[in-house]
Amino acid sequence: MSDVVRVLGQRFIAAVPILLVVSMLLFAVLRMIPVDPLALSVPPNATIEEIDKIRHDMGFDRPIAVQYVVWLQNTVHLDFGRSIQHRDSVAGLIAETLPATIELALFAIVIASALGLAGGLYLFHLRGRPGEVVADLASTAIMSLPEFLWGLLFILLFGVALDWLPFIGRLSPAFSRPVHSGFLLIDALIDRRFDIFFDALKHMILPAFALGLSFSPPIMRVLRSSLHDVYAEDYIQQARLRGIGEWRILVRHATKNAILPTLTLMGVQFSFLFGGTLLIEVIYSYPGMGNLMVEAVRNADLPVTQAVGLVYCIAVLFINAVVDAIYLVLNPKLRRR
Amino acid sequence: MARFFASPGAGRVLTSPHVIAGGLIVAAVFLCALFAPWLAPHDPEDQNLIVRLLPPAWMAGGDPAYLFGTDGLGRCVLSRLLYGARVASYVAIVASFGAMLLGGVLAHIAGYFGGRTDWLIGRMVDVLMSFPPVILSLILITALGVGVNKVALAIVLVDWTRFYRVLRSEVLTVVQRDYVAAARLLGYSSSQIIWREVLPATTPLLITLLSLEMGIAVVVETILSFIGLSVEANVSAWGVMIADARNYVHQTAWNLVLPILAVFLTVLGFNLLGDGLRRTLDPRLALRVGR
Repeated sequence: MSDVVRVLGQRFIAAVPILLVVSMLLFAVLRMIPVDPLALSVPPNATIEEIDKIRHDMGFDRPIAVQYVVWLQNTVHLDFGRSIQHRDSVAGLIAETLPATIELALFAIVIASALGLAGGLYLFHLRGRPGEVVADLASTAIMSLPEFLWGLLFILLFGVALDWLPFIGRLSPAFSRPVHSGFLLIDALIDRRFDIFFDALKHMILPAFALGLSFSPPIMRVLRSSLHDVYAEDYIQQARLRGIGEWRILVRHATKNAILPTLTLMGVQFSFLFGGTLLIEVIYSYPGMGNLMVEAVRNADLPVTQAVGLVYCIAVLFINAVVDAIYLVLNPKLRRR
Repeated sequence: MARFFASPGAGRVLTSPHVIAGGLIVAAVFLCALFAPWLAPHDPEDQNLIVRLLPPAWMAGGDPAYLFGTDGLGRCVLSRLLYGARVASYVAIVASFGAMLLGGVLAHIAGYFGGRTDWLIGRMVDVLMSFPPVILSLILITALGVGVNKVALAIVLVDWTRFYRVLRSEVLTVVQRDYVAAARLLGYSSSQIIWREVLPATTPLLITLLSLEMGIAVVVETILSFIGLSVEANVSAWGVMIADARNYVHQTAWNLVLPILAVFLTVLGFNLLGDGLRRTLDPRLALRVGR
């Protein structure tokens, strides 16, 4: 346990300089753009003096380095400024949308892991059999369609043609959203509104499956190839000689070692997956951070773009740290004695 | 080049079913892109509001003049797909070669010299890798502005790390080999050694990554034109077609399915090609598989 705390601590310390550079990058990149942030927040009939006053109030007349330090100070205190188009505080907008995105991403991660691990075991099981080519081709095919195109195909098939599942938003309009934590599924349970819980769950099935499915093939493939490597080792042969059944060898002996490289890949995959929620949210009109980001980019809403970009980075670093910790738990060789 | 075709490796590559299938698909897409003006039956932007939302010609109510039907503004879907292949191929080629050049050069320098250069580039990669790729491309597009060339540039800036990470570790192992040490002893300069001794050993990996990156570039271009941040309004791109077709999902599925199929086939082609090249170009892997 103390090892886990140590790794998380190390990761946290390593994340600070990265986030600092990321914040500089975000600030610099977004100040480079040819849009004058003032032009969007000043009424068209403002006089030069008024504009200068606003420019001074907002700090745009100061050197860029000073502007960065001020921005960073505010950011550390979770004050991301006000959105140019919504006129709301950016922190509030993020607090509203982030739980929805996390909920969706977690659901998708569960699906991607289940499909990826089961698929990897199955692919390995098929080795040397005629079905291998077909299964191989199928995994390449799944991988060749990005998540948002899977999302659109699911809408066509399960939403429009079969009319099984809803595909717009987070909740049917008939329900009013319970607000406690922002996580809809949890909030519904707090209020004991199981009808709302299942309605929200139904809304999440298509987007989460589209995401999960498209991120599962690499997991399948790495699991299979590391199972191949593990099976070349003597201890598997030895287990066979001891008369242990093939299934038990696969699940209890081989997978324990083969899971480790797979886990490394899953860390990368899941940080990509968290970014993948963006397009899925756009397609399913899901009120998460992705839609907020796309809207902000379209409207040159810099404070929102900067803050949301930063939150995505923090999420990626967090996911990597968690995967590292799990890796440590599962790999006894790394534990300190 | 002649020596390559006489080698056993060439035979392996050219008879691999993955390489053949992928190569044929990719060649077909490139040919469509190249000859779009001659192949397309209509001007892709020509609106014919009398024949809106026609189904493909083989369906009931289809018009043989519009083989794949028409979209919500009465534009020929086939022609738009063909012209869309131009945008996709252009971005695929420009972006993936750009990313390969940037990532490859840095990987060879960092892997060969190590030390501070390696550390610095490594930290740069850490920073870039802490963004989900889609988010980073969106932020870059915000800064660079909209347009196909900007999209290609954004892909280069995001995806060179894919080349860098894989190639750097390959360079690290190649540099350990005896023949590189021999070249050092013979007094070749660093650039000569990288160019003549290291690069030939990393080229198979480079080609494989290039093929896979082309597929990724097609997807990113589709994403950005879907959001409306890639091509100008009067240019056909697959992402634009998908975005348009979303408004008509309840009337017709074809408008949506056909461009999705185009993206799928193109990416599948690049993936098959990359996969086949990886298996056949790498002698170690090929020996293990037993070909």
